[in-house]
Amino acid sequence: MATQLPLTSAQRTTFANRIAERFNQTLPLWLLLPTLLVLAVIQFYPGIYSIILSLQDRRAGAVEWVGFRNFERIFESAIFRESVGHTVVFLVGYVLVTMVASLAVALLLNQRLRLGGVYLALLFIPWVIADIIVGLIFGLLVVPEYGLLSPILSNPTLFPPKGLSIPSDPPPKPWIAGFPFPPAPAMVYLILASSWRALPFITLLLLAALKTVPSEIVESARIDGAGRLQLLFRIILPLILPTMVVALFNLMLGGINGIGLVFSLTRGGPGTATEVLSYLLYTIGFQRLEFGRAAALAVFMAVINLALILLTLRVSRVDERTT
Amino acid sequence: MMHPARRSTLGIAATIALLAAACQAPAPQPAQPSAPQQAQPATQEREFITWYQYDETNTDPKSDERVGNEYLRKTIPLFNEAFKGKWRWVNQPQPFDQMATRLTAAVQAGGEVPDLMQSSDANLIPFLKNGVVQDLTDWIKAQPWFDDLDPSAVAACTGPDGRIYCVPVAMTPQIVFAWKDYFPNGYPKTPEEFKQVAEQLKAKGVYAITFFGSTAFDGEGTTRFTNTLIKSFGGTFDDGQGNMKLDTPENRAAIEFLREIIAAGYVHPRSWDGTTTPFIEEEPMKTAEAASFPTGIFGYRYVNPLKAPNGREYNKGNEEDMLDAITNGDVFIAPFFAPEGRKPGCGTGVTGFVIPNGAKNPEAAKDYINWIMSKEQNPDWVLGPGGGFPALRSMLPEIEARMPVAKAFYEQAAAAVAASECRPWYGTLERRNEAKKIIQTAIFKLVKEDPTADISAVLKAAEEEYNKGN
Repeated sequence: MATQLPLTSAQRTTFANRIAERFNQTLPLWLLLPTLLVLAVIQFYPGIYSIILSLQDRRAGAVEWVGFRNFERIFESAIFRESVGHTVVFLVGYVLVTMVASLAVALLLNQRLRLGGVYLALLFIPWVIADIIVGLIFGLLVVPEYGLLSPILSNPTLFPPKGLSIPSDPPPKPWIAGFPFPPAPAMVYLILASSWRALPFITLLLLAALKTVPSEIVESARIDGAGRLQLLFRIILPLILPTMVVALFNLMLGGINGIGLVFSLTRGGPGTATEVLSYLLYTIGFQRLEFGRAAALAVFMAVINLALILLTLRVSRVDERTT
Repeated sequence: MMHPARRSTLGIAATIALLAAACQAPAPQPAQPSAPQQAQPATQEREFITWYQYDETNTDPKSDERVGNEYLRKTIPLFNEAFKGKWRWVNQPQPFDQMATRLTAAVQAGGEVPDLMQSSDANLIPFLKNGVVQDLTDWIKAQPWFDDLDPSAVAACTGPDGRIYCVPVAMTPQIVFAWKDYFPNGYPKTPEEFKQVAEQLKAKGVYAITFFGSTAFDGEGTTRFTNTLIKSFGGTFDDGQGNMKLDTPENRAAIEFLREIIAAGYVHPRSWDGTTTPFIEEEPMKTAEAASFPTGIFGYRYVNPLKAPNGREYNKGNEEDMLDAITNGDVFIAPFFAPEGRKPGCGTGVTGFVIPNGAKNPEAAKDYINWIMSKEQNPDWVLGPGGGFPALRSMLPEIEARMPVAKAFYEQAAAAVAASECRPWYGTLERRNEAKKIIQTAIFKLVKEDPTADISAVLKAAEEEYNKGN
């Protein structure tokens, strides 16, 4: 049996160096490990499980593999087609209103205003309120009997012929058959409430971008005779475009997946006027307990999300090349 | 020799794989009842967990659920006293519209489930499909009170396989609450009579009716007014074979009638506003802006305070307001109206208990159910969380004796139910949650969104939407 000799000082140093070298080589992987573990638990596992579930019909203690039947049933249903239309209307309205309003507020706050910091702090109130609470507040505002906005909305002079009821007025006749536009008053109200909620974050993003616009460029343009609108559209907006793209996709992803406000404000109604895909997913999964179909819809929505993310990455890369 | 980076990558992958394996959801529990727990020594008190929509810690007298909250506050100590040393009742309040979902998720994920949950028969099929509740057939049939149960209540708790999965305690038929001053000759018997009275009321600035007409709560309106109306016109929602059948002459007649009374201005506009403000359709009844309100018998607990057309006010702000108004003759209970030669329709359901699969102490649940079915406890449960008629037929006189103020209410309600044909709204439809949304959406489209739409086409489309899933 061989006797193990104690390591010499030189050997010990070499061994320690080797350990340190290996550690340095693999350091990035160890640093990534916590994130990978978290992603594995909260993203990869549920994601893969959802895909499996979307191909199954689960009954008491039994699992039946049904192939793509859950997808077929989702795509064939009238409410799915309606929900896609409502989601498109909601997204376009939500993104447009939020972007325009946020840009306007950001431009205003970018001026040297007295008490600018106070305005910024006040502006942040909607961002710290939970979706559910925002929904309840906006719901109370339009309760026909005592809502703060009800006297205005029910005024037939302002909204002929008999005033407006957010909770129950149906949508006008669609301009294109099968596509829910113009939207119901409740959808417009939902868009406004959602935009109010998202305004602070997008404003802050845009304000931060505006602060990075070099004042020399703005001054030069002014000296060259650029008017306010020219300055905005030809100088400022192109310079903050990358941030606007990020804000745009943030809004789109939040809009397509968000459910809190729909749930607490309109519950998809009146009728199906505000039934967007995320709410449909909630009702199929958590009210009707049809987990297979809900998973199929979730997978479909995940694909849409993935497409939007890839688009974001592509647009960002275009920006990198051009700037 | 393996490269260190590769070795580390493999190490990380192995860690992730181990973690994923640890996160594997346990297999769903089988639908069979769990084995009876071993008897514990009397000295070892164990927790008995329930899920109610009521919260005994909520002492707000204006809470919508104050009746149930107070019931639990009063009853939990009584139970704990009766089962001292054996069970200690711990209630975990749940939102009423999320209880079924939470229980299903908990059972499927192998999580903590209660020993017993308050539930209605409407949850039965989704529970069975997802293996959520225990088969109670053998146990319930062996109980001394089983023969006293109303057969229709037992039927409501019976699954398509003929097994019994819930314990009915109260039955909740649909009835009409009406202001006497507006209907001095009683509630109209036919649609024609209704229109005549409604026209007279309209001249006085009063709406003849308010009801749950919105699509809120995934089409809950189907189970209430829509069902009452359709069934009163002789219609149905199914073909008796599990398929949805809506496009029938009776259903079309009911919808045409509804369109007519809406266009004539007899229906209070709050009937449609429940999407943003749930149950706002009750308000016009409270203030007598609307003359009648078809709803569940349990409505007496929620529709308060009241102001009668004659100016008399009932403002205790609790369930006694409606009972007092009925006793004083200001409000009366009636069956809905129906075309000549037909019996008024009336939806009915049961509330009671289920024992989930995976319950730690099913024996506690069974002890509790037997305790609730006793003569001492049953009337309080029916008057409290149940909010309807007792499923145990022998209990009605006991309830009237215990709460004299409810005597007139129960007498009138019993007469209204006897004059109606009361059945569960869903007939042979299995996917009830999906069906009620589809039906209520179709009705809403036809009478509110587009009152000129072709009734037959919309009903057919709704039928197809549901039947594709059969």
